[in-house]
Amino acid sequence: MTDQLGALTTIFTEFYYWVTVVLMFLIHVGFCMYEVGASRYKHHQHTLMKNTMLIPLVTVTWFLFGWWIYWAFPTGPGLAPSIMNESTALITDDSAFSATWYKATSDLMAVNLGDHISGVFWAAFLLFSWTAASIVSGAIIERITTFAFGILAIAIGSVFWTIDAAWGWHFDGWMLKLLGYHDAYASGVIHAIAGGFALGVLMVLGPRIGKFSSSGEPRNIGPRNPWLVTVGLFLIYTGFWGFYAACNIPIFDLGPEYGMEGISYWTATNIYVTPTTLSGITFNFLMSLSGGLLAGYWIAKGDPFWTYSSGLAGVICASAGNDLYHPIQAMIIGMIGVVIAYKLHYWVERKFKIDDAVGAVAVHGYAGFVGLVICGFVLNGYPSSGYSVGAMWDGTTYATINPLGQFIGALIMFVVLGLIPGYVIAKILHGMGKLRIPRDVEIAGLDYEMMESAKKDERAVSSATR
Amino acid sequence: MATVTNWIDHLNKPAEEVAGAIYPGAGSSETLLVILGFVVWIGWHVLTARSESEELERLSRKRHGANDHKSNIAEW
Repeated sequence: MTDQLGALTTIFTEFYYWVTVVLMFLIHVGFCMYEVGASRYKHHQHTLMKNTMLIPLVTVTWFLFGWWIYWAFPTGPGLAPSIMNESTALITDDSAFSATWYKATSDLMAVNLGDHISGVFWAAFLLFSWTAASIVSGAIIERITTFAFGILAIAIGSVFWTIDAAWGWHFDGWMLKLLGYHDAYASGVIHAIAGGFALGVLMVLGPRIGKFSSSGEPRNIGPRNPWLVTVGLFLIYTGFWGFYAACNIPIFDLGPEYGMEGISYWTATNIYVTPTTLSGITFNFLMSLSGGLLAGYWIAKGDPFWTYSSGLAGVICASAGNDLYHPIQAMIIGMIGVVIAYKLHYWVERKFKIDDAVGAVAVHGYAGFVGLVICGFVLNGYPSSGYSVGAMWDGTTYATINPLGQFIGALIMFVVLGLIPGYVIAKILHGMGKLRIPRDVEIAGLDYEMMESAKKDERAVSSATR
Repeated sequence: MATVTNWIDHLNKPAEEVAGAIYPGAGSSETLLVILGFVVWIGWHVLTARSESEELERLSRKRHGANDHKSNIAEW
């Protein structure tokens, strides 16, 4: 930072991402409120602590190895060479894009006067990791052990979503090159994978006691505190703004970056380093939110829980292509995603006796999956990267966005990196007898001992007159 | 342990020497610190898993009913 313009650009970028991190913190506040509001009184405190403790667990493991995974695996490894340096082993090489710089022992992973961006960039991705784990947390409330959830949170938050981000979100990811994968605001890389992972866990974990009648009919266990749920979802919406901003590069000169001699073009870009604008994504965020709310209110007949969740599902569904869609396209895509997610939720619940307590698999998983597939049709032919355009399956250049590539990408996110790992890890934990709380504890309530030990003081306080 | 003891001297060095790590023990303590991080992380799981299992077993043995917790609520 020896000249003023360079310093200004660097400090602006550093501050920009820092602000997005603060905004995204609200997502987690929202998830905590939402989950507690959805749980029953006798489980409140454990429900809150389960979701809260994923913060330190995912943060520490994200520092120790999660961030390194993101930089280590864009090429597969071995599936497609790096466009940037032709290496297939970013894990071990010493290029500028090597994962070596982001090992926990690297001096860039600390205060370093030669690097003003790694920490805030690390934190922006970390907040995405919390979100992925928190999505899973809501689906499995009131019957999972905190130990099991901690392991699952680390698996999704610091391992599997990181792998998918390396493959499908990193500008050098093999899914961009081979499949033309495009997912600008994470329909798949956060939401479809987390929804799929939650479904895998739920398949092993089983429903809450009383959720299904003896004849198999599902019973509604509605939110116990609708106001907490309401404020929680509003906070998630708010944090989502920060997430959208965090997925962009705020200011970048694409001329030299693309190798265009003598041309300078300053713009915001998406995470794939192709141009977009904060203006455009603001249109699309709000229009897809509105589409989701409109469709949710209609299909759920005004049910507040589903209407709020549908606003979120609308944004999630349109997110894959919200860097390029027209606002009306974003709105309609949001509506389609909500209708499919809502219908699938109840079909899966009845057919397979899956008890997704907050509809997380539907709102995040199904809506995200559908959003990726729709994106393949609507953005068919757009470059998946600004650097070069080549044929699908080529691997040495970047394929364009296409329906087949997006569909395969959606399967990778939801099934390969989501559902299967979630199912396998839950099976292992179940085999160890560590997955689910004992039946008698579920009936009594996880907070029973906490409440009982406080009873004497509580009674004294409530009857006190001075 | 201090990596920098005088900021004026430090910033007067050549640019490539200024641009570097400034935390205590830079260049010599990173591996040890990361090992410590792993120990804290794994240790936390071990300790809390044990206490959670004990709590769940204790509560399970008491076989409380689905509405028993209401007697623990002093006021709404």
